[in-house]
Amino acid sequence: MIEVHNLHKSFKAKKETVKALNGLSFQANDGEITGILGPNGAGKTTCLRTLYGLLTADEGYATIDGIQVAKEPLKARAQLGIFPDKFGLYERLTAYEQIDYFASLHGLNGQNKHQAIEQIIQDLGMQELAHRKTAGFSQGQRMKVTLAQALVHQPQNFVLDEPTRGLDVMSTRILRNHLAKFKEKGHCILFSSHVMQEVAALCDRVIIVADGKLAAQGTPQELCDLAGEKSLEDAFVKLIGSDEGVAA
Amino acid sequence: MIQFKALLIKELKEAFRDRRALMVALSMALLMPVMIMAMSKFAIDKAIDNPPIYVKFSGAEYAPKLIKALKDDNIFSFADAPEDEIRNWNERNVEMTIPKSFGQDMLDGNTIDVTLRADFQEKSLMSPLRRIKDVVRDYSLTIGYKRLLVRGIDVRLLRAVKLQEQDTALPTSNAVMISLMLGLYLMMSAFVSGLAISIDASAGERERNVLEMLLCQPVSTLKIVLAKLFCSSSIAIISIVLMLVLTSISVGFVDLTKIGATFDISGFTFVALLLLLVPICFLASSLQLFFSFQAKTFKEAQSTVTMLVMVPSFIPMAMMLMDDKPAWTEWAPIAGQSLIMEDLFKGLPVDWSALVFTGVTTLAITAALVLTLAQKLKSEKVVMSLS
Repeated sequence: MIEVHNLHKSFKAKKETVKALNGLSFQANDGEITGILGPNGAGKTTCLRTLYGLLTADEGYATIDGIQVAKEPLKARAQLGIFPDKFGLYERLTAYEQIDYFASLHGLNGQNKHQAIEQIIQDLGMQELAHRKTAGFSQGQRMKVTLAQALVHQPQNFVLDEPTRGLDVMSTRILRNHLAKFKEKGHCILFSSHVMQEVAALCDRVIIVADGKLAAQGTPQELCDLAGEKSLEDAFVKLIGSDEGVAA
Repeated sequence: MIQFKALLIKELKEAFRDRRALMVALSMALLMPVMIMAMSKFAIDKAIDNPPIYVKFSGAEYAPKLIKALKDDNIFSFADAPEDEIRNWNERNVEMTIPKSFGQDMLDGNTIDVTLRADFQEKSLMSPLRRIKDVVRDYSLTIGYKRLLVRGIDVRLLRAVKLQEQDTALPTSNAVMISLMLGLYLMMSAFVSGLAISIDASAGERERNVLEMLLCQPVSTLKIVLAKLFCSSSIAIISIVLMLVLTSISVGFVDLTKIGATFDISGFTFVALLLLLVPICFLASSLQLFFSFQAKTFKEAQSTVTMLVMVPSFIPMAMMLMDDKPAWTEWAPIAGQSLIMEDLFKGLPVDWSALVFTGVTTLAITAALVLTLAQKLKSEKVVMSLS
């Protein structure tokens, strides 16, 4: 379970102070897929980076399975599988070696590690890619490798920052099925996306972030009802109070 | 331990698969021995060879014996110069004028003025002019001695004091040029070899967006830095070992006995050199990582870090140029090591306490850099500059 409580964070750039988070609180439960929506610059990435323990909040705290990220970042990260906003690959390693590397960083070894890697490669349909060096991989193939390395240790909590951009329909379906399966098993999934249909189809609960704070939360249907709109996209625009960001 | 092993294996895999960076890293080790061999061969040839000299004589016919003495030392008349030498010696234009009165003055016992005209500052003429002067002086002395002898005077009277020179240099230190060059190159190689790998593993990873992913994993930044440090310093160590081995082999092709020298990297010297250089490899890699992690881009890292890291590699050169070294230099890192290395090459006994002290100091500085860097990688500033 991921909990974010009253997060405040501002950045000083020269004389200007930018308030990225302004008292953001939400909760992503186990056995649910929680979508996080917000226009560009709403504070999503800052919030997620605070969750990873890369940034320290000025005020408030984030916990992962009850572990305070700021206090025990390594322990908290061990409970996380991360698909970051910006990701790169080690282009001189094969896909298998990358997944192996991240599995080892999460403490897997020996037969367990081998099995976990084989499993994730099979689940994501990556058998053909597995032993190729990742240099020259297409966007979708790169995404798959990144996903595989985030999921290989079967973390209790997943944080995925726009995981479906660049994926083809087949891979998107595979990912969705995969997430649904993990949900069934009781994992907690926090999922950020700009594709409304996807959020509507996949997420049990949606959190809308604007100006560094929570604008609204609920099931997709609840949000539509709240805004009095039929589609989630319209509801989103109404709830954040502007047209800005929808095109992004 | 699983984590560290994975980090290290990944770094090594990446380093060894980056053929270009690896070639750059090892190029020094591969090229320097060849250069050392070529240069020492050239220097030896120059030192022992007695190449012919062509002088433009005027009045050669007045002093046939002097001309013969010169000829015996490979000094000939310009008229006899072979075609391929004519241009050179015409340019150098060494002229010797022998007066018409040579024969008569010799009989009368007058001092004869033989003129040698040439550009005495010209570097290529230094050795020929010295040789001409030596021959003329010897010729003159021989005649002088003979004159005294026939007058019944012991020529030893002319030598009131004779200076006996005793050279304390050991045979190995005659190969001083080779060892000095090797010493400099070893130091430079320790500093430079890991550079490309370090920059790639730090600024390169940041630019390829893999650093953020790594920093989000449950692994301490200290382990990350240590893995990178071990990887790039091991490349530097490989480079040094390769350089030592290849130099030993390539110097074997040069006949050093011609200048009465021997050059041999014994097992002991090898081990002592490694003890000196391995800490320096670690220090250099930590410096490279420290600065390139803070560079904003890969390009910036390449330019600034290369400059910064080159600075300490000039210390050995400065040490060589300094005649009166202050005592502290023996204990300071890099300077101390380069002095001990000089002793080693000269075959002098190794000051073990200085070796251990400089090694420990070097490693202590490395540790401080690593810890500071690990701390810096936790800071928000580093994370913010990721995006």
